[in-house]
Amino acid sequence: MISKTEESQLNRLENQVDNGGGGAWEYLCLVRKLKVRRSEKVLKHGLSILNDAKQRSALGPEEWTLYEQLALAAMDCHCPDVAKDCIKVLQKKFPESKRVGRLEGMLLEAKGSWAEAEKAYSSLLEDNPLDQVIHKRRVAMAKAQGNVSGAIEWLNKYLEIFMADHDAWRELAEIYVSLQMYKQAAFCYEELILSQPTVPLFHLAYADVLYTLSGLENLQTAKKYYASTIDLTGGRNTRALLGICLCTSAIAQLSKGRNKEDKESPELQSLAATALEKDYKQRASDKLSLLTSALRSLKI
Amino acid sequence: MVTELKYEISQNAYIKLVLHALKHKTTAVNGVLLGRVNPQKENVVEILDSVPLFHSNLALLPPLEIALIMVEEHYGSEGLGIVGYFHANERFDDAELGILAKNIGDHICRYFPQAALLLLDNRKLEALPKGKDQSPMMQLYIRDASKNWKLVGPDAGSRLLIKEPAANIVLSDYIASEKWQDVVDFDDHLDDIKKDWLNPEFLK
Repeated sequence: MISKTEESQLNRLENQVDNGGGGAWEYLCLVRKLKVRRSEKVLKHGLSILNDAKQRSALGPEEWTLYEQLALAAMDCHCPDVAKDCIKVLQKKFPESKRVGRLEGMLLEAKGSWAEAEKAYSSLLEDNPLDQVIHKRRVAMAKAQGNVSGAIEWLNKYLEIFMADHDAWRELAEIYVSLQMYKQAAFCYEELILSQPTVPLFHLAYADVLYTLSGLENLQTAKKYYASTIDLTGGRNTRALLGICLCTSAIAQLSKGRNKEDKESPELQSLAATALEKDYKQRASDKLSLLTSALRSLKI
Repeated sequence: MVTELKYEISQNAYIKLVLHALKHKTTAVNGVLLGRVNPQKENVVEILDSVPLFHSNLALLPPLEIALIMVEEHYGSEGLGIVGYFHANERFDDAELGILAKNIGDHICRYFPQAALLLLDNRKLEALPKGKDQSPMMQLYIRDASKNWKLVGPDAGSRLLIKEPAANIVLSDYIASEKWQDVVDFDDHLDDIKKDWLNPEFLK
């Protein structure tokens, strides 16, 4: 989860390296720092550093970090041979290392040797029962084999121990959504909002899930969380603004024929609509008429 | 005897969907198919365009509802409607048509009963560079009389055709040149409205 500034910084650097402007190592460090998944670029540029003796020696002790990063990227890009070579180098330099042991386990995983990978991980866990990365590999393996219920089970067990791992809660929420288990997904987002109440992404995701669950109460709550998303993002979030409009429309549909007390004030919806139209006019004017008709169709 | 339904997909619609899937290799993706019944041949559905929709949280309603409203609005003015749905699963080994795709398909059928579901065929796509296959890299599903989605068997080759026979060659070229980087989907648009989900210059 990175900010827009961080993303554009990364893309700028990536463009620079892609076009021969240098800065490959800087790029790789930034990818590591931001924890993004750009394995094809990492593989390409990492290998170019390795194959250039001058650049490689300039790294000094950072060389081993490069080998590790490259191994991971190679596994992600289905290049097990490159990964194996990198791991061999690391094994030589750091024999008996648990960190290298993890990479070996991951290589087995990447090759689809699930049972062997599981054995490797279990033995590593014996010495390091609180190794978060390995616990998460188990979830990943279950997912990769299509065992979604197993993945959910492992992930829930993981979260009982490491309940502050926000990425894990998000992963669990997304798995639940993919299975259309929206109530369970809502629970995950509630945990996230409780522990990090100022992250707009969680408010937005929670609102989306509540809207999908439907029902008057859920829609009303969804509307509140779209509103809080707008608040936390300074009014800029297109998804949240559209969410307000969708909620208002859906609530009106459900409230047809009910008490007038339940009637919502239309201010929030018209504010959202105005904000959207202003934004589209400025930045996507060719789509403005589509937006206007869409909003019209939502006003019943 | 009722003539069987056939689906003819245009090269552009086809390539856009496959490239979208390739852009987001690590997640499931989906898209909608736009078209109409062939005015001269009632049993042929022409898929003339496609809109790549999402690459994350496909099963959440709000973005999907907005997308469908806007897509229908735009293409309606061109005399086209939503005639089907495309889905690519997250995992390479997963060749099953999931519940989400069926639900969306059912929804589309309410407005266009001859709607088709297309599922990306990962194995076929993997073999693409090696072969001279002219058939689409997708599986076709249609609803039977009991409203169940059924895979149209090995003779799907004759019921789902790409209009331009050299489409797979063009596709292979685009894959080699990593053209998939330029595909914009509805998710991208919602994150930055400057990005155009119509992909107007994409395959020119």
